[in-house]
Amino acid sequence: MFLPISRTRPQPIFMHPAIFVSASVLLGMLFALQQWMSVRLWSYHIGIPLLLEAWGLQYFLWGVICWLLWRWMGTRIQQASVFYIITRVLPLSIIISIAEEMIWVLCFPNLPLRHRPMTYWQRLAFQLDAELIYNMVIFWCAFALFRGIGYYQKFREKEDAAAQLAVQLAHAQLATLRMQLNPHFLFNTMNSISSLMRTDVVAADTMLEQLGSLLRITLERGEVQFIRLNDEMEFVEMYLSLQERRFEGRVRQQLSVHPELHDALVPAMILQPLIENAYTHGLSKLDSNGLLVIEALREDTCLTLSVLNNGAGLNSSLPNGLDGQGVGLANIRSRLQLHYGEAQTFCIREVAQDQVRVTITLPLQFSSGPTEKLPRFGA
Amino acid sequence: MMIHAILADDEVLARQKLRQLLREEPEVEIVGEGASASETIDLVRATGPELLFLDIRMPGMDGFDVIGELSASIDLAMPSIIFTTAHDRYALRAFDIHAVDYLLKPFTSERLHSAVQRAREQIYATKQIAGRSNGRGQNGSSYTTRIVFKSRGRILFLSVSDIRWIGAEENYVRICTEGETHLLRETMSRLEERLDPQMFLRVHRSAIVNLQYLKEVRTEPNGEFTVVMVNGQKVAMSRSYHSRISELLARS
Repeated sequence: MFLPISRTRPQPIFMHPAIFVSASVLLGMLFALQQWMSVRLWSYHIGIPLLLEAWGLQYFLWGVICWLLWRWMGTRIQQASVFYIITRVLPLSIIISIAEEMIWVLCFPNLPLRHRPMTYWQRLAFQLDAELIYNMVIFWCAFALFRGIGYYQKFREKEDAAAQLAVQLAHAQLATLRMQLNPHFLFNTMNSISSLMRTDVVAADTMLEQLGSLLRITLERGEVQFIRLNDEMEFVEMYLSLQERRFEGRVRQQLSVHPELHDALVPAMILQPLIENAYTHGLSKLDSNGLLVIEALREDTCLTLSVLNNGAGLNSSLPNGLDGQGVGLANIRSRLQLHYGEAQTFCIREVAQDQVRVTITLPLQFSSGPTEKLPRFGA
Repeated sequence: MMIHAILADDEVLARQKLRQLLREEPEVEIVGEGASASETIDLVRATGPELLFLDIRMPGMDGFDVIGELSASIDLAMPSIIFTTAHDRYALRAFDIHAVDYLLKPFTSERLHSAVQRAREQIYATKQIAGRSNGRGQNGSSYTTRIVFKSRGRILFLSVSDIRWIGAEENYVRICTEGETHLLRETMSRLEERLDPQMFLRVHRSAIVNLQYLKEVRTEPNGEFTVVMVNGQKVAMSRSYHSRISELLARS
């Protein structure tokens, strides 16, 4: 499954206009307080309301300007090259700094204090002399902030993409692992049918029907990873009836599922490889009195699935041997690991003379999805 | 009585298989084979068969179109339909138009045999009703006569008369027939509602039995009651339901 990497960049919460401008004004207020304290040290007196007004307006103007800059030029600022910065942003910073000062001077005709009356242009020149560099610093701080946000967002995007890729990879792995389970058994069954065809047409016919049903179910499930235990057991029953035909009465099959567990979720095709294993490495070595026990039990918050056979002990075929046994079991192991991490256990043990039991424990989860429309009643 | 049948399938080999398997059914006589929907419609109109084996996916119109077309002509008696298809998704539609059975390819001769058996019963029943001049079709009761469900990759149109007994398993019920059991996601009470009480009896919170297959009610040494089925199978019975059954047994 392909998960598209999301391209929408969420705006940082502090870039909301109200929050951004208020923060800027608050900063101005702090500067005002700072100046008020410092001028008092020099035993020089300026009224606090005037300071708050002057600083507040200045930072309010800067707040609005910077927010508009973000709004109109945010992306361009984030992507700007050095050339663009020198030829466009630098002149822009000077123009904006002057413009801001022009508005500010317009609002405070009485400043600077204790000076003879000056014309607007004289006052502007006076202020610019002191404040231009200062304004430029504010502008470039905002510039740096916007670039920083850009870098942060890019970093987060990369991180998200990496996480999504990891999920996709796990999905792909799971899909492959599931696919590896089927053909093996498909070809074996086809071979059995082919050999039956010559001796017992009716039996071959039945086996073909069963194989058809199995394939239909497998295809229907498609890429689904989890299914109801009930559905998995139905599949197992069909598989067992195919095996029963191949081993004709040599193996006694016992299935038991606790009724509470019919709706429990299990990884699809988790039992079939274990059963196939029991046949190929255990039960096939017996002429008679074979026993296969498949159980699903509930233990508190866990679901235990076990497959026991009395064919041959572990020493005759090591579970991790190179005789092909390893592949199916290793597949199950890695699927369990990918699905449940450390919350599962998988163990294979010789419980008595020649009796091998494979036990899987999973966290117990129940299906909540809707069921099939069938069954239905009719007159 | 002979049952005249038409085979409709666009694949030669599929028709050949049906023809071969139907040799085992002496009562069924094949009167025609259609390779397309329009051919089939013409054949049915010309021969008026009792039974139609119908594939769903065919060139031109599909199997349901054939049925629609056929039911539009008033003078024609509708044949019983057995669907043969590789697709399971039309099962409910087939069930709704009262098809006799729904065979998923590949099917065995056994499965075909049971479908033909069922068709035969249906055809006889309609013949008898027709014989009694103004028979009123079904017995008019609102109880279900069959259930459609999927079990082990097959679609089953199970007649309730084939059910021996039903056991509860949490959110599921286990339906036991002569040779098989099927697990269905259904509740006992919902099932009990749909089943004819003349035919089925709840003997326990978790068991319903078909009276047709009930042999006796036995009192165990410990005072408990057990229902014994014809095949010897025992089903536990609770006291609260006991009076109901003794009443019923007294009646018969």
